[in-house]
Amino acid sequence: MNACYNCNTCPSADKPMEEYIRHLPRETSHHRVATQKTKCGFGLQGVCCRLCANGPCRITPDAPRGICGANADTIVARNFTRAVAAGSGCYIHIVENTARQLKNTGLSKGKIRSEKALDHLADLFGITGATDKWDLAVKVADAVLSDLYRPEYEPMELVEKLAYAPRVKRWKELGIMPGGAKGEVFNNVVKTSTNLSSDPVEMMTSCLRLGISTGVYGLMLTNLLNDVVLGDPEIRMAPVGMNVIDPDYINILITGHQHSLFTYIQDRLTDEDVVAKAKAAGAKGFKLVGCTCVGQDLQLRGAHYTEIFDGHAGNNYISEAVLSCGAIDAVLSEFNCTLPGIEPICDELKIKQICLDVVAKKANAEYIPYNFATREADGEKIIDEIIDAYKERRGKVPMNLFPDHGNKNTLTGVSEGSLKAFLGGSWKPLIDLIVSGKIKGIAGVVGCSSVAYGHDTLTVELTKELIKRDIIVLTAGCSSGGLENVGLMTPEAAELAGPNLKAVCKELGIPPVLNFGPCLAIGRLEIVATEIAAELGVDLPQLPLVLSAAQWLEEQAIADGAFALALGLPLHLGVPPFMTGSKLVTRILTEDMVSLTGGKVIIDPNGVSAADKLEAIIEEKRKALNI
Amino acid sequence: MKRIMIDPAKCDGCKNCSVACMEAHRTDGGSGVYTLDLTDPNNISRNRIVSDGKGGYDPIFCRHCDVPDCAGACMSGALVKNMENGLVEYDEKKCAACYMCVMSCRYGVPAISPDRKRMIKCDFCAHLEEGPACVRACPKGAIEVKEVGEWSDM
Repeated sequence: MNACYNCNTCPSADKPMEEYIRHLPRETSHHRVATQKTKCGFGLQGVCCRLCANGPCRITPDAPRGICGANADTIVARNFTRAVAAGSGCYIHIVENTARQLKNTGLSKGKIRSEKALDHLADLFGITGATDKWDLAVKVADAVLSDLYRPEYEPMELVEKLAYAPRVKRWKELGIMPGGAKGEVFNNVVKTSTNLSSDPVEMMTSCLRLGISTGVYGLMLTNLLNDVVLGDPEIRMAPVGMNVIDPDYINILITGHQHSLFTYIQDRLTDEDVVAKAKAAGAKGFKLVGCTCVGQDLQLRGAHYTEIFDGHAGNNYISEAVLSCGAIDAVLSEFNCTLPGIEPICDELKIKQICLDVVAKKANAEYIPYNFATREADGEKIIDEIIDAYKERRGKVPMNLFPDHGNKNTLTGVSEGSLKAFLGGSWKPLIDLIVSGKIKGIAGVVGCSSVAYGHDTLTVELTKELIKRDIIVLTAGCSSGGLENVGLMTPEAAELAGPNLKAVCKELGIPPVLNFGPCLAIGRLEIVATEIAAELGVDLPQLPLVLSAAQWLEEQAIADGAFALALGLPLHLGVPPFMTGSKLVTRILTEDMVSLTGGKVIIDPNGVSAADKLEAIIEEKRKALNI
Repeated sequence: MKRIMIDPAKCDGCKNCSVACMEAHRTDGGSGVYTLDLTDPNNISRNRIVSDGKGGYDPIFCRHCDVPDCAGACMSGALVKNMENGLVEYDEKKCAACYMCVMSCRYGVPAISPDRKRMIKCDFCAHLEEGPACVRACPKGAIEVKEVGEWSDM
C-alpha cells in the first residue's frame, strides 16, 4: 500500500471505503473536509449578499440591513430563489437534451427500445394520428420541447395532463401553475437581481412554480422519455461498489445525468469491430463503470445492457476513489456531479477526460460536443482516443484495486412500472400491507451525497432507523449509491428492519430499501405516490408518505425540494438550505407551507430524532385516514 | 496568564470571530450557528472587525489590559482586574450601569446591553473549557491565545 496523503479524512457510512480513501496517496474531497471545516456563519444562514459592488453585506445586530436597505428576509429569499432557479435550469437542460435526443431518434428512424413507454406518453399527452412509431416519437418530443420554450407568461400544457388532478386544483388556487420552464428560470434570475424584487413572500411562491416545472418536466418526463430510447427498468440483482471494476477491460467511468447522450457509443462498444480494436490493444473489450446518477440510471436499466455495463461503483463522492484504483482509462462526462477534484487524479494517472456537454466542461477535459448528426464520427474518435489512453497508461500507472468493496446482490431496476408489475399489476397488495400496518408508511430517502458532516452517514443512519420502525424506504439519487454500497438494498438487509417489515421483505424476497436509481427518479416516486393516492381517492398530503433529502448537496436538490413542497409532502433535510437568517422564510418553509400546499421542511441533523419526527407524521396521517 | 494576541495583517474581515462570540454567549437556550439570531441586539458580539482605511482590517478585542481604563473608571467595583489570571472580570450584581467603562476604554470595547442595565464585554469565554470561541473560529490564525507569563514576571 502506498504511503497515505494524510490520514485526516471525513467519516463515511461505508467503513471499508473510509479506510480505502484514508490510505490513498493523493488528496480527495474526503481529505478537504478538514481544511474547509471553518464555515462562515453569515453564509450558513443565507444572510451574506453579493448582489452589488456595495457588498458583500452581512446581517448583524448592529447592521440589520444591507447598504441598499435589504433586510435578512429579502436577502435570504433572494439567495434561495436564485438557487432554486439555477437548480431548475439544470434539470430543464437535462430534459431538453433528452427530448431532443428522442426527436432526433424519431427523425432518423433510430432505435426505439420501448414502444410501450412511447405509447404510454402518447396516451398521457393525448397525441393521436401519428403515422408510425418514429413519427409518434417526434410528436411526443415536440410536445415537451414546445412547453419548455413557451414564454413565462404562457402556462405549460402538459402539467395538467401529467400532475395529479387534486394537486393541479390546489396549484391553480394558489396561482402557481408554471409558465414555460426556461422562461420561469429566466424570470426568477431577473427577479432576484440587484434592487429588483424585495418581496420574500412573492419569491417563495415563485419557488413553488419553479418546483412544479422542475418536477414535472426535469424529473418525471426525463425518466419517461429515457424509457423510450433506453428501455424500461426491470427488477434484477446486480453487483455494486468497486468490485464491479474488471482491470482486464478498457474501463470508462461515466458521470452525469444525460444518459441518452451515451447511447450511440454504448451500443458501439460491444460491436465486433470495436471489441476487436480493444483486443488488439491487449484488453478483453470495453466496460462502462457507473458513478453518479448516470450510473444509477444505467444500473436501473441494466437488464438491457448486461454486456457493456459492469455495474455501479458508487455515488459522486466515490468518484475520486474509483479513479484511484488505476483500472479506469477514461472519464466520459456530460453533466454533474463531475467533481473538479477528479482532474488532478486524472492527470496523475493518465486518465483521458472527455466531455460531451459544455455545461459540464472540465478544465482538463477534451470537449467533443454531443451532436446527433455527427455522433457516429465523434463516437469513433472518442473510442479511438480511449484506446490510445489505455495503451499509454496501462503498465505505467499503479493499480490499487478494491475487489472486496460493495456486494454482488443489490436489488435494482425498481420503477413505477416494474414495481407495480412485481406486485401483480396493481398497487393493491402494497396498499393492503400499509392498511394492515405491516408497512407503517413510505419514506423516500432521496437526493445527494455530501461529505462535510460525514459521507452518507446521516443518510444511512436515518434509513436504518426508518426501516427499524417498519417504514419502507424508496430511494432516488446519490443517496441510492451510498445505501446500496453498505448493503441496505440486499435481501439480507431485511434482518435490520422492524418485525413487520422484515416479514414482508422475507415473504417477497426483497430488501427493505428499494432503489429507484438516479435523482431524476424522484419523478418516478411521485408517480408511485400519485397512483396510490388515486387508488385510495385521496390527495398526496394525506398519504403516510414522507421525504428526506438528508444529505442534499446542490442547487438541483433545492429545486427538487421545492417540487416536494408543491406536492404537499413533508421534507426532511439534514442541514438547512441557507435560510435560517430569515425568520420569515424559515417560517414559510417550516410552518406556513402546511396551509398552502400541505408540505413543510423539517430540519434535523440527527438520524434518530429525524426518524422519530417522520414516524410521528406517518402515524398522524394514518390516524387521519382511519388506518 | 493568557491573552488573545492579534495579527491584523492576517485578518480577512470574515467576522467568523464575531459570529463565534455571539454563539458562545447566546442566552436563548439554542445551540448551533444555524439558529443563532443574527438580528437580535441581545446577541451582540463582544469583538468587532473594523476597516483600517487602507484596505485591511483591525480586529478589536478586549486586551484585558495590565492597567485597565474600564476597571479604573468603575466606581462600583463591578469591573476588577484579577491578579491571578490576569483577566478584567465583570460582576453584573455590582454594576450601577453608569457606563464610565464605556466612556473610558481607549479601544471602545465595552458595550451597553440592550436593556441598559449592564455592560457587555469579553469574558475570555470563562464558561468554555476549550477557551475563547473567537480564536477557535478564526480560519486565518489572525487571533491566538498566548501564554504571557505570570503577573509577578511583569
